[in-house]
Amino acid sequence: MLRKSKVDQEAKTNLSFALKFDRFFSKPVYRKSLDTITIIFFLLVIIGPIINIFSTIFFNVPSIYHDVFADELIGDLQWINILKSLGVSFSVATIAVIFDIIIAFPVSIILTRYHFRGKNILDALVDLPMAVPTSALGFSVLLFWGIFGINPGMPLIILGHIIFTFPYIVRNMKIVLEKSDTLYEDAARTLGASGITVFRTITLPLMKEGVIAGSILAFTRSLGETGATIIISGLVETAPIMIVGFRRQLQLPAASLLAGILIAISILLLFSIKFFARGGHFPIKGVLPNFERLLSNKYLRYIRDGLTVIILGVVILIPSLFIISQITEGNLVEELFLGRDYKWAYLYTSFISSVEIGVLAVCINLIFGIPFAFIITKRKWGKFITFLDTILDIPIAIPSAALGFAIFLFWGPAGIGLFQPGFLMILFVHVTFSFPYMVRPIIGVLESSNEGVEEAARTLGASNLTVFRRITLPNIKQGIIAGCIMVFTRSLGETGATIVVMGSIRTIPVLIVDWVEANAYPSAIFASTIVIIFSAFLIFTLRAVTKKRGV
Amino acid sequence: MPEIELINVTKTFNEGKVLAVDNISLKIEDGDYVFLLGPTGCGKTTTLRMIAGLEMPTKGKVLINGKNVEAIPPEDRDMGFIFQHFEIFNHLTVWENVTFGLEMRGFEDDYIIQQAEKALKTVGILEYADEYPSVFANPGLQKLAIARAIATGANTLIMDEPLGSLDPKVSKVFRHELRNLVKDLGLTAVHVTHNQEQAMAIADKIIIMRNGKILQMGTPYALYENPNSIFVANFLGETNFLQGFVLRLLDHDLMEIWIRLGGPKIICKNPGLKFNLDNNIVIAFRYEDVYLFPMDYDFKNSLYDWSEMEFFTVTLESSRFIGETKRFYLRLENGDKFTSVKPGTFEENFFSGNQILVGVHQNDIHVFKAPSDLLYELSLS
Repeated sequence: MLRKSKVDQEAKTNLSFALKFDRFFSKPVYRKSLDTITIIFFLLVIIGPIINIFSTIFFNVPSIYHDVFADELIGDLQWINILKSLGVSFSVATIAVIFDIIIAFPVSIILTRYHFRGKNILDALVDLPMAVPTSALGFSVLLFWGIFGINPGMPLIILGHIIFTFPYIVRNMKIVLEKSDTLYEDAARTLGASGITVFRTITLPLMKEGVIAGSILAFTRSLGETGATIIISGLVETAPIMIVGFRRQLQLPAASLLAGILIAISILLLFSIKFFARGGHFPIKGVLPNFERLLSNKYLRYIRDGLTVIILGVVILIPSLFIISQITEGNLVEELFLGRDYKWAYLYTSFISSVEIGVLAVCINLIFGIPFAFIITKRKWGKFITFLDTILDIPIAIPSAALGFAIFLFWGPAGIGLFQPGFLMILFVHVTFSFPYMVRPIIGVLESSNEGVEEAARTLGASNLTVFRRITLPNIKQGIIAGCIMVFTRSLGETGATIVVMGSIRTIPVLIVDWVEANAYPSAIFASTIVIIFSAFLIFTLRAVTKKRGV
Repeated sequence: MPEIELINVTKTFNEGKVLAVDNISLKIEDGDYVFLLGPTGCGKTTTLRMIAGLEMPTKGKVLINGKNVEAIPPEDRDMGFIFQHFEIFNHLTVWENVTFGLEMRGFEDDYIIQQAEKALKTVGILEYADEYPSVFANPGLQKLAIARAIATGANTLIMDEPLGSLDPKVSKVFRHELRNLVKDLGLTAVHVTHNQEQAMAIADKIIIMRNGKILQMGTPYALYENPNSIFVANFLGETNFLQGFVLRLLDHDLMEIWIRLGGPKIICKNPGLKFNLDNNIVIAFRYEDVYLFPMDYDFKNSLYDWSEMEFFTVTLESSRFIGETKRFYLRLENGDKFTSVKPGTFEENFFSGNQILVGVHQNDIHVFKAPSDLLYELSLS
């Protein structure tokens, strides 16, 4: 019958090259080497520059002290400005996040619990600002609120930051809501709780994780945003803008001090939230059934939903897409194509540079991100894994301008001296800050994927690498694609870090900033429209890919 | 010929904090259908995974054909593993699932086709070859998992609750098919379950595990008739337990015991003269070994020999019809309760509150030393 002993003589076995290759490289020694290389890459390229900035500050205390605190002409004016900019950054981030959370609750519930036509499109529109380069968004916001006479300054900064941080909060709330079963809510209703009571006592505790995770991301994004802020800030300076300014004026000691402070605050914020906030409770515990029953009134709910949709439209959706309607304004053709300064050529080359950098960053992060995700999920190294897992999020948390400056110090002439500002350094910066965006989705699918299937494949005679190629990879494909798109869109939209390290090369978002500053509005509108459409295309692809699995 | 042996194997998880398998030794002969039986969390699945190479023993050795297999990864152990949750490759078709193992071994195409067809035919799902596994419900997935494991020609089949996901009725039919399949192919099979009935029905040999230790191993008959512990007696079949002490030692390996709190006095075997006067003991007898008689039963004119039967009077509390048998809930004069499931001749006339004469054969009474915590011994976990 099926026993091999009988058929051994007749059935010849001949392993294909791929299987032999897998078998050879499945030896533990190769796995260990790959692990080592990946961890060295992570510590050196992703974390190294960040640690380096602190040592730079430490070794340059005298010059920093001289420049920032005791300048012959201006005294400690720089220090006062630094403190002022930090104050602006934190108040903007706080106000934006609070506003986002208030709006995000009803929006996330509408997007998950309601059923209506066009829900998918609305969902995609809410996600869109996450993918669009912030300088294009900022420009759109500037044009839209300009109609109502709101000029660059504090209010406009807040309005802008609300828009691009909003998707992070809604997205995280939505993920939690989608995962949590409506059965709990149904059960609470059968026990006699009204809509609001159910929300507060059942749904809200479930959303806690999502709200916290979303708020961290939104807060750090707001704290670190440069591209949009440059356009809409006017005379107000946020901390990242100030770093860009210092870097442009080559005031390196002051820049490194501010970058160091920003990085330290962001890391502190990240860790404290990671370690302490999880145990926190929403403070409202008591039950007020009658009052809440009154609030759960059908008409009040209609009013609430209506209001939500109006605010969502006016504050977030319309301003972010307004720019597309402006493309016919002004004399675009004359300025872009017939001008003596060859703007169309700049647009073309910077678009190509943006795409090149994005694609290369995706490739590099793919090569190191997949093994890194495997290390985090599969290796049983106890505390070391927890450590890696925690510091993985640092590049997301710290302001990109500060990160860019840290990388400039680390790899540039002042540090290792491997690169000059320019293409390669931009690439390094983009690889660094987008690494977590590649790794997180892959970790997500790996954690939800079934290890039993891999064991089954091994008992059937597949070596480790064959299992990876034939079984694991098809199962985590969507996570990898999601990671690639995330990295690419983030790279495409990054402004602050790029400005700090770019040399003479321009990427699209930087070009938009340049043109807006030079008052070349029609060309800037054209460039913004192109990137918005391009990003919209990417975000729709991302949604199509991740639809099957909650990545 | 595969012959699997575990020598003093211990397995701990979480840096020694969780003890899964505690110093066990066992031997599985070639061609045997062996069951690892025990409650959930007793270490049986871990034992199985160590045999397949999916876990490494913390201490001790696993030998296959007398050879230490520590350095051999699972892919080279040549064992068919049927997982509890099937672990079917959902991104591959049924056919690709079954040919996967053959392909990994580098067989030629003709042979792969021939073997896969045979395996799919054996379990009866050849017509689904080009479908994806999502067309199947649990029984279909189960068959596919079996086909995938046997197609490679592995001569050891390792099964983790292979019938656990099936309906009880389907599982009862399927277990005999499974045994026939294993025997037809001449495989050595190791089967893990927590279902006693399944093990009793198709095992050549049963190994009973609890808390990472092996309590007893042997044929289903030997284990059922001679359980070596209260746990095994309770785990296999349905058993009554009564507490008492040794009142008198008699000739011919017999002793008289007194059920506690003034219950009846019963004469039973004293195996190996293990027990002495005043020892606290627990006696165990199966539900089906409790015979019921009317109080005025005429033993003299009976056809049977009742000489080694122990009799005592009980009160019938209630009875319940459960299909082919009837269950009687009985109470001794001291308040102890026990159960009988005999489908007898007189039972039609028994009603709640009646006094009934109960008989248990001396050979059917098993005596154990009283444990410090009887309730713990009787818990099935």
